[in-house]
Amino acid sequence: MTQLFEGVGIALTSLRASKARAALTILGVAIGVMVVVVIGSMITGINRGVEDIFNQLGPRTFFVFRYFSGGINVSDGSDEMSPWRRMPPLTLEEAIRIRELPSIQRVVTEEGSSGPVEYGSTKLDDVPILGRSPEWTIVSGGDVLPGRSYTRVESEASGRVVVVNEKLASELFGHVDPIGKWIRLHGVRHQVIGVHVPPPDIFGESNRPQAIIPHKTFEKYIPYWRGWMNFLVLPSEQVTVQAAIDDVTSVLRSMRGLRPAEENNFSVVTQDRLLDSWNQVTGMFFLVMLVLSSVGLMVGGVGVVAIMMISVTERTREIGVRKALGAKRREILWQFLVEAATLTLVGGAIGMVLGAVATEIVKAITSMPAAIPLFSVVAALAMSVFTGVVFGMYPAAKAARLDPVEALRYE
Amino acid sequence: MSGESLIRVSGLTREYRMGAETVHALRGVDMEIRRNEYLAIMGPSGSGKSTLMNLIGCLDSPTCGEYWLNGVEVSQMQDDELARVRNREIGFVFQTFNLLPRASALHNVELPLIYAGMSGRERRQHAARALERVGLADRMAHKPNELSGGQRQRVAIARALVNDPSILLADEPTGNLDSSTSAEIMAVFEELYRQGQTVVMVTHEADIASHARRVVTLLDGVVNSDTVREAA
Ligand SMILES: Nc1ncnc2c1ncn2[C@@H]1O[C@H](COP(=O)(O)OP(=O)(O)OP(=O)(O)O)[C@@H](O)[C@H]1O
Ligand SMILES: [Mg+2]
Repeated sequence: MTQLFEGVGIALTSLRASKARAALTILGVAIGVMVVVVIGSMITGINRGVEDIFNQLGPRTFFVFRYFSGGINVSDGSDEMSPWRRMPPLTLEEAIRIRELPSIQRVVTEEGSSGPVEYGSTKLDDVPILGRSPEWTIVSGGDVLPGRSYTRVESEASGRVVVVNEKLASELFGHVDPIGKWIRLHGVRHQVIGVHVPPPDIFGESNRPQAIIPHKTFEKYIPYWRGWMNFLVLPSEQVTVQAAIDDVTSVLRSMRGLRPAEENNFSVVTQDRLLDSWNQVTGMFFLVMLVLSSVGLMVGGVGVVAIMMISVTERTREIGVRKALGAKRREILWQFLVEAATLTLVGGAIGMVLGAVATEIVKAITSMPAAIPLFSVVAALAMSVFTGVVFGMYPAAKAARLDPVEALRYE
Repeated sequence: MSGESLIRVSGLTREYRMGAETVHALRGVDMEIRRNEYLAIMGPSGSGKSTLMNLIGCLDSPTCGEYWLNGVEVSQMQDDELARVRNREIGFVFQTFNLLPRASALHNVELPLIYAGMSGRERRQHAARALERVGLADRMAHKPNELSGGQRQRVAIARALVNDPSILLADEPTGNLDSSTSAEIMAVFEELYRQGQTVVMVTHEADIASHARRVVTLLDGVVNSDTVREAA
């Protein structure tokens, strides 16, 4: 223990003595560590965001998609690469049949498009417009405040009413009260009846304007890419999610006339599955993190080798003296390893501070609830020490093997 | 007033291989050193004095021959065992002092105790006492470059003594000092010898050697003469 402190002290002294050389090493390690901290905090942010949404959705809600591959997929437009071409679109009849099931409490149909939105002389392009059945407020998160969402009657009548989200409200109306105002969606006049305050989320949607209108109104007035309706399904209280999924699956299979040997030509996706595919995305983040931080740590590592080789050479005589006074190989090795690890640890600490600053910036410019998790602090420090030890091993071993007589004679 | 045998070397040989050539630094040295002797080793440059000191000090191993220290054969020992012997039994004083430049006098003297595994508190007490013995009680916090040459050599002597070694080895301890400072250092050695310390020093200068009670001269890697001076 005394030798550890002794080593750290020696290391800090010799760092001060060779600032320029130390700077490169410290910079390399700092970048490596910063990347770990920032990406770690973003992953934490994403996970929190996903959890927030799912908490808002209620844990039992699941989805029916025309096609869901999970994870990331790339398409070249061919049939093999575009399996959804063999999947028929979901239909309203299917939604109605699912809603009739005793194991199902609610079904929300949802369809999306985007287009220009105008209020007076203000015009916004490419605003996402969603068509949803009226139960969406129960299944989806957030509050409609001020105002209200549309009723079943308005919905069935294809009423031209719209719920805008907070962001759209502020961009269109500024400080004017939006309730009761008429806006144009794709040129069609709709009356604003409510403002949706979405749950905090990471997809940036609360940061993007959005208009929500009744599903039937959507189909009637808004140009959209047909065939991509989704269902959000909430099971009844007394059944398990799996039982509800089984019921939904068998209804859809029988409506679509699938034989037992045939696969489902639709996707029932639980939140767990969605989370899994998110985890694949975060896995990508991890990969990027690994690559970038390895580069930084390699730069730092090469710096460690260089600076330690110079340190060993400069202090050859000191090593000879220490050996003459009774230092064993192990003790010399230890001294230089501690020195190398101190060097990289300083880099790690600086990188951590930079990472914390970068995380605050990410938090400020996105809505991501990024936060530095304990694991990335521990991982970053452990990695920087590890880098020091691994790359310091060769110079330290060289020092430990020096012949005392030769070392004492060194000029 | 010499005591029992401390060091016995016989047929001690050290060769250096320089490519195809072999340098015979020592060609079979036989010698015995008793406890509480004060011995000077003399001889012309290149006669093997430093080589012999390095062997006695366990910094180096002989090519062949035997070396017994305190009844233990050290000529066969490995690296780490030799380090242990250096730490416990040997105190070195070098011509160029060899203090750590960035460490205080006290810390320099503490070094052998660190490698002996002594705790910090005890270590500082021991080191302070050793510095008092060489008359540097008021210079403990000074760095080497804040001390005179004579003071630096006294720090080095304190460092050599702090582990209570069986033998104090000094290779030309006054080689870098002027004559009045040399006399000062010789007075320290004399005092240590009187307190019972065994001292072996290498020197070129006859008047430095005259402080010792016994003088061994080397020539071409063998003992040429060995004279014991009558007590003054
Ligand atoms: N590492 C070495 N490699 C090769 N030859 C060496 C080495 N060390 C010493 N020698 C040779 O061994 C011989 C004895 O050297 P040593 O240093 O013991 O002499 P010395 O008596 O101490 O001389 P000086 O009074 O000049 O210090 C010399 O010829 C020297 O060149
Ligand atoms: Mg010599």
